[in-house]
Amino acid sequence: MTAQLEGPATRALPVLRHIIRILLLGTVAAVAIWAAFPLAEGRHWTGLGILAATTAGLLYLYTTSRHIPAKYLVPGTLFLIVFQIFPVLYTASTAFTNFGDGHRGSKADAITAIQTASVTRVPGSTEYQLKIVTKGDGALAFLITDPATGQLSIGDSAGLRPAGGNPPPGYTVLNAGQASARSREITDFAVPTAAGAIRSAGLSRAYEGTAVRAYDQATDSIRDSVSGKVWKADEGAGAFVAGDGERLAQGWRVNVGLANFTRALTDDTISGDFLRTLVWNFVFATASTGGTFLVGMAFAIALQGRMRLKGLYRILLVLPYAMPSFAMLLVWRDLFNTDFGLINNVLGTNVDWFGTGLTAQFAVLLVQLWLGYPYMFLVTTGALQAIPGELTDATRVDGAGPLQAFRAVKLPLLLVALTPLLISSFAFNFNNFNAIYLTTEGGPFPADNPANGATDLLITYTYRLAFGGSGAQYGFAAAISIFIFLIVAVVSAVSFRRTRAQEEVYS
Amino acid sequence: MSWFRRVGWRHLVAILAVIFSLGPIVFVLSAALNPLGTLSSSTLVPNGASPDNFTRLLQDTDFPRWFLNSVVIAGLASLLSVFLSALAAFAFSRRRFKGRRTGLLALLLIQMFPQFLAVVALFLIFSRITGLWPAIGFNTWWGMVLLYLGGALGVNTWLMKGFFDTVPKELDESATVDGASHTGIFFRILLPLVSPILAVSGLLAFIGTINEFLLANIFLTDGGSKTLAVGLYGLVQGSERNSNFGIFCAGTLLTAIPTVGVFLYLQRYIVEGLSAGAVKG
Amino acid sequence: MRIRTAGAIAASLLCLAGAAACGSKSEKPATGATASNGELVIWADDKRSAALKPFADKFGQENGVTVTIQAISKDQQTTFLTASQQGSGPDVMVGAHDWIGNLVQNGAIDPVQLSDEQKNGIQPGAIKAVTFNGQTYGVPYATENLGLIRNAELAPDAPATIEDLVATGKKLKAEKKVSEILCLQSGQNGDAYHAYPLYASAGGYLFGTTSTGEYDAKDLGVGKAGSIAAFEKLRALGEKGDGALKRSITTDNSTATFTGGKCPFLVAGPWATADVKKAGIKYDISPVPGFKGGKEATPFLGVQTFYVASKGRNKALAQEFVTNYVTTADLAVALYRAEPRPPALTAALEQVKGQDPDLAKWADAGRNAIPLPAIPAMAAVWEPFGKAEAAVIGGADARSTVEAAAKTISSSIK
Repeated sequence: MTAQLEGPATRALPVLRHIIRILLLGTVAAVAIWAAFPLAEGRHWTGLGILAATTAGLLYLYTTSRHIPAKYLVPGTLFLIVFQIFPVLYTASTAFTNFGDGHRGSKADAITAIQTASVTRVPGSTEYQLKIVTKGDGALAFLITDPATGQLSIGDSAGLRPAGGNPPPGYTVLNAGQASARSREITDFAVPTAAGAIRSAGLSRAYEGTAVRAYDQATDSIRDSVSGKVWKADEGAGAFVAGDGERLAQGWRVNVGLANFTRALTDDTISGDFLRTLVWNFVFATASTGGTFLVGMAFAIALQGRMRLKGLYRILLVLPYAMPSFAMLLVWRDLFNTDFGLINNVLGTNVDWFGTGLTAQFAVLLVQLWLGYPYMFLVTTGALQAIPGELTDATRVDGAGPLQAFRAVKLPLLLVALTPLLISSFAFNFNNFNAIYLTTEGGPFPADNPANGATDLLITYTYRLAFGGSGAQYGFAAAISIFIFLIVAVVSAVSFRRTRAQEEVYS
Repeated sequence: MSWFRRVGWRHLVAILAVIFSLGPIVFVLSAALNPLGTLSSSTLVPNGASPDNFTRLLQDTDFPRWFLNSVVIAGLASLLSVFLSALAAFAFSRRRFKGRRTGLLALLLIQMFPQFLAVVALFLIFSRITGLWPAIGFNTWWGMVLLYLGGALGVNTWLMKGFFDTVPKELDESATVDGASHTGIFFRILLPLVSPILAVSGLLAFIGTINEFLLANIFLTDGGSKTLAVGLYGLVQGSERNSNFGIFCAGTLLTAIPTVGVFLYLQRYIVEGLSAGAVKG
Repeated sequence: MRIRTAGAIAASLLCLAGAAACGSKSEKPATGATASNGELVIWADDKRSAALKPFADKFGQENGVTVTIQAISKDQQTTFLTASQQGSGPDVMVGAHDWIGNLVQNGAIDPVQLSDEQKNGIQPGAIKAVTFNGQTYGVPYATENLGLIRNAELAPDAPATIEDLVATGKKLKAEKKVSEILCLQSGQNGDAYHAYPLYASAGGYLFGTTSTGEYDAKDLGVGKAGSIAAFEKLRALGEKGDGALKRSITTDNSTATFTGGKCPFLVAGPWATADVKKAGIKYDISPVPGFKGGKEATPFLGVQTFYVASKGRNKALAQEFVTNYVTTADLAVALYRAEPRPPALTAALEQVKGQDPDLAKWADAGRNAIPLPAIPAMAAVWEPFGKAEAAVIGGADARSTVEAAAKTISSSIK
């Protein structure tokens, strides 16, 4: 066997290898330099440091002859860290906060939002026409016209005074483009008046308004100047709370410790549904993976060996996988409709597929089978091809039938190749959000419990708990996800241990 | 009778399988050809064949642009990710180092975190990236490709590691004795031997990327930068669902074309693979 | 050979992508240059962004600024909130008015200051809908509400009550002219929006109102005696009763069944008229009828709204666009032509009313429509309410179902 391979494998081309290495390292250095400029420009020194360290590490790794495994692992791992590990850690860290709708930003954001939202037009005040002007030194001013009297005034932080011309001497009118370049300044610009301040409403109108609510740093509270009501900052809840318990809607993000975890554990509607959902989730993941594997493998075996039309069959069998899966999930949902669906029409039945627990579970598994078996078919076909032919030839000489030969020789080899894949496919299906969300949405739901349905997976259930209420609760969702993660991790770790023996056969 | 035992049953199985796999697709096809193009009026037999939905798809939407975006993003991402995961799979299969099994398990577990939660963090990252390097930020091909490469070490590494494990280690050992380096073993011995599975993982990565819409929907907002999945999903949002169903089906069918093309191209390696190649000679 | 072709493909893809990167780079200085003249980014869904495009370009040209329209295909509200939070959101957002409560509590939108004249030019119901905590939070441009579309050949007269409607439908069904009595979408998990007119007619309500006329999250109507009575009536119309309400009628097939002539009545909004016209059905539009002796079947009023994003980079221009440009009749008429929903601007409505007799009928159907609650608590109502509706349509006991829904809703309202 090694005889044919000897030639090309052993004759390494040192020159070519060096050139390739230099080219690759050069590319790394070039990308690093390209990336460094904006970082330096923006004075992101930490970022620059990380970039420099990473680049240096890479250059070292690929010039030394040590750390061979790392040479192969690092490229993918870099992407993994940035786009997967960091997001997961970030998300996990939100589990200890009240992050969610109403508590997304910082306290400063909340205060700004409260004050902006409280700006109201002074009752009975004039609506002005507005032009944005600048003085010679570039300072902004408002040139406003009272539409009733036609009186022209100029306003800046000093207040309002009559303008001596249109535009007044020394001032230049900005067009919309120029004005919008100074957008932020204009939005914040206020000309103080007796009743409040004149502010812009866009670039062509101005109004006289007052901010009814203001933040007071000394007492750390918000005060309403009309009603006199005071809301004190509550750092535990991340909200301004009044004496009577009323909260202002705009809150901020604070650490809440383990509150999300205890809530998940103590809420009896959650714990009541949890076990049932967990069991179905395992059934779903196992049946989806096992079913697609068995069907895919059966088809792959049937399409081995010499036969006509093999290529055509293979393409047709892969088609379900080539179609966008979300589109096909939506189509399948319609196929299962009781009165109008194709399935009942063709079978002449009147089954309420998504209406009862068992039929809905059967239906989603069937859809999973349809969507997933081409994947297993492809993989098994590839795996069967990779098994050296003489192995089966050898057993055939021993007089074994094709089925025995398959079980004795090919199946074990197939399982070696595919067990890792089956585990990861299980993991994927365990969290297969779209499969449920785009078909049954977790239903059918018992009449007395709209929170948990017969086909709900833990992930769809989490989604409903976290986003189905009044606004998204990311922190709470992250906490539940961590629980689910722990369960899946334990299960996967246990089943993974059992692959060790298998793996070592070939090591 | 013996023909049936030898080949015939294979055809029987294949035909049954084809019926199962084509059923819903025929439904989509008939809806795409149905000029009314609404849902309940669609049956297995179209009420009339007309290319209306296809012309509307091409005229009223940015479909060709979506198509190009999808093919480029999915093509690049799948090529690069197959390479990255083959590298990693080689280390996991052939090298023994500290933390090897933990690393493998960690790869698996990372995939299990719900993506709809990670969106917030990804947004955080991409807002920074767009500010610093707009060429790889929002609404760019490279940005999407990089994002998808984050998942390169996921399922595919597992898949390939399994296949690397089936190649007997004696091959590497004898090559090492003959003076081959680890890169030589990887590129010249292992990769050719597992080419069927490289092709399969390439195809799987391509399909996975071209169908992805959760992230693409958020990171590609400019009309010209959308992918097929996002564009098609937008067609059937809310009250548009009914009237656009025919167009949607037409788009769904056309979306399958690049995938089938990739499959046809790779099929040779999947089928011929090693059995016809090096080892049998 | 193999490696060469694969290499060639890889190389050509890299070139393409490289070209894209370079292309976008060479474009970037251009937008960067205009950015000093101001760039306005607007987000909308796919349909509306296409309709807005010409007007945005016009606004840009008139004012010497660049206007970019971007379409968000899915989860517009969440995407807007997340993007805003990170500073990569738009300057102007287009969406439904019932987002307001959530957008405000996240500090994502700014109030707009409309002049009295501008306010008077907009239908009062629409202005009421975008008013939240006493502030106006956006500029409405189109309204929508449910009505009853009937097949005028099968049912020449508009039914005065639901009972009349069911009687007509049953008669037609007995004559084998139709297969369904009424197309009112529910689906397996219900549809609170479409069920609401009947629920209201039968005496149910969702939220009470405060002294200032705004919705009060503390007064939940689901679970009260009226709601139980209303669900009893829905149950009587359901699968175990008259068979007028069915879970098999979904968003996907409701309109199609009607346009296929298999159903004499359709409860839908103005968005469905395009399909009905296309199918060539003789149709007429009337208000959704109520139960005999019951209250009026008030539908929800939905208002499509332009919002100014708090964290936009160009708020002054955004304010200008939203308050002084969206309030002009031309834009409203054009948006109407892209999608026939009644304009919220009175002037625009008058302008198109003559050409489209349906508009007056939709307006009549929405005469007593009440604004869809914009308070954040409403988000907790949709799913449980819908599921309860689906359950009673399927024949479940009304009282226990509604009480379970009420428990779920109130436990998730903070």
